[in-house]
Amino acid sequence: MTAPLTIFQPPFSQPGFRLFDGPAGDVAEVGTGQIGVVGMPSDWTHSSRLGTRFGPVALRKATTLLHATRPQAASVDPDTGYCSRLAADWVVDCGDAPITPQDVDATTQAIAAMTEALTVGGAIPLALGGDHYNSFPACLGYSRGLIRRAPGARFGYIQIDGHLDFSDRLGAWGTHNHATNARRISELPNVDVANMVWVGITGWVDGGDLALIEQQGGRVFSAGDVHKLGASEVMRQALAHAMQGCDELYLSIDIDAMDAGYLPGTGSIVHSGITPRQYYDLLDGLAEAPLGGLDIVEVSPPLDPSERTEFLAAEMLFRVLRRFRTRPVAAA
Amino acid sequence: MPLRSAPLPRMAGHLSFMRAQPKTIRDLRPGDLAVLGLPFEDTGAPFAGQSLAPRALRETSVYFGWHANPQFSHPVDIDARQEICTDGLHAKLGDLGDLAPVSEDRIHAALREATLQIFRAEACAILLGGSDQLSRTVQKALPGCQAVQFGGTLQVARDFHVAPLPHGTGCSPSAGASLAEFALWRDGSKPLFVRFDLSVFRTSLSALCDRPRLGGCDLETVSQWLGILGQHRVSAIMLTGLNPSRPGMGVVKVGQRLMVTALLAFVYARLGFLAPYAKQVIAEETELT
Repeated sequence: MTAPLTIFQPPFSQPGFRLFDGPAGDVAEVGTGQIGVVGMPSDWTHSSRLGTRFGPVALRKATTLLHATRPQAASVDPDTGYCSRLAADWVVDCGDAPITPQDVDATTQAIAAMTEALTVGGAIPLALGGDHYNSFPACLGYSRGLIRRAPGARFGYIQIDGHLDFSDRLGAWGTHNHATNARRISELPNVDVANMVWVGITGWVDGGDLALIEQQGGRVFSAGDVHKLGASEVMRQALAHAMQGCDELYLSIDIDAMDAGYLPGTGSIVHSGITPRQYYDLLDGLAEAPLGGLDIVEVSPPLDPSERTEFLAAEMLFRVLRRFRTRPVAAA
Repeated sequence: MPLRSAPLPRMAGHLSFMRAQPKTIRDLRPGDLAVLGLPFEDTGAPFAGQSLAPRALRETSVYFGWHANPQFSHPVDIDARQEICTDGLHAKLGDLGDLAPVSEDRIHAALREATLQIFRAEACAILLGGSDQLSRTVQKALPGCQAVQFGGTLQVARDFHVAPLPHGTGCSPSAGASLAEFALWRDGSKPLFVRFDLSVFRTSLSALCDRPRLGGCDLETVSQWLGILGQHRVSAIMLTGLNPSRPGMGVVKVGQRLMVTALLAFVYARLGFLAPYAKQVIAEETELT
């Protein structure tokens, strides 16, 4: 008689990547104060260069790989002297929203349902684009959830972007596309244009859109302002403006505000001169902000064979989520 | 009222530079801008693909076709907070199409003849290369012309070099001594030819061009210079150095965006719209003098 075989049973893990290598779970399982990740693999609402439908998976992979190379014990950021250790149970990846390519409204409602459920439960939705239109359904769900969780609460809005995205319509694409997302957000009931701020706008913009924003009290900081005033000062002013009379902040990170020389893998490249360092300084300025929800959009892996775009974008998430991802510890 | 086309998606419809109207040389009037594509290979270049550049430049330029796009109100330079009125652009800008691919001798002859006819019509040729080899043909067609060089390889010592500088790899600063030097160099009685090669941009921006150089200029500096040159009676400006088929480059389209963005400063200044940064530079110049 032979001895019974001992079967090695390792703990199974889910194949594929989750954001920051976090656990997978349903939106209902995300707790108060946790980040709930929603993928939005849709680029059907972009008018030119596609590929952002592969953005969510690229961000999941890049954050996981970067996470593995970071110190797993207490560490010190050499730039800031910030001493921290990794937090546990701060993020849950809820997978992708169901996308219906031929039906913008169905896609919109599907994404909004997930971010609404997260917001109602006290979690912070983090939506991964996708083209920038998808920021609207993500924010729409957040807005609906905020109304249910805290009736009467207002939110401020900051959009880091190379473009305003404030058009009412875009030619053949109509009213719901990557050039109208901020306009649609401005029509939500619990945000005012006076609490909306754009950072990193560059080149020529539509004069009518700009006038409409500024007449209603919105602020626009150009890429030139970032160079002249410094990224930290711009974000300090932007945050102060957005949060006047508001309870929470919604942040939309469009990676295309960064100069295409550094970051070519995005649909609508700009030559803003904004460097990775400046972009990260902008996000460092929001690390302690009262985030209620956020999205990161326009990562298009097929447009950057070098893959550096998705790693630059992943680093953006490391910066802005520092408060959630780590806990401060006393320096030795 | 400016003529405006239907709100076509920018990758659809007839492809012309900034959605300009097709024109022939006979249609040209003094002060017009005439776009001509030169879709030919540079047989001396390390990689094939320059012949695809005119199409790539036109495709990118459509993004900037503000005057032909009714969905936008009017362009504003976001840094200067200054409106740019482009009314009349459509009447002044025409696209002649491409030179036909025939034998090399006939291409040179056709380019020579086209350049001369555009010059005689007192219009300005915007030549979308393509191969830098054809720039000598253009220069020869313009009697006794002076040439300004952006990027590329040094050709003639008497030309004015924005970059590369004759003594180094840097880029001329836009203000002060360089403009004064340009004013001294410029002879208004002679035609002016501008060679604008992608390699004028610093390597971090143009690393994917065929012959990247260390050093070079940023976009703002090149735009300032082209805005200033646009206020002179330039007879021809030729874009070279773009190779959309280089690995990666055709995908990310950084090169054509850089070139068209900078060229826009020239186009606006040439038509009297005067980009804000050019105004600013001129204002600074006035203060200096």
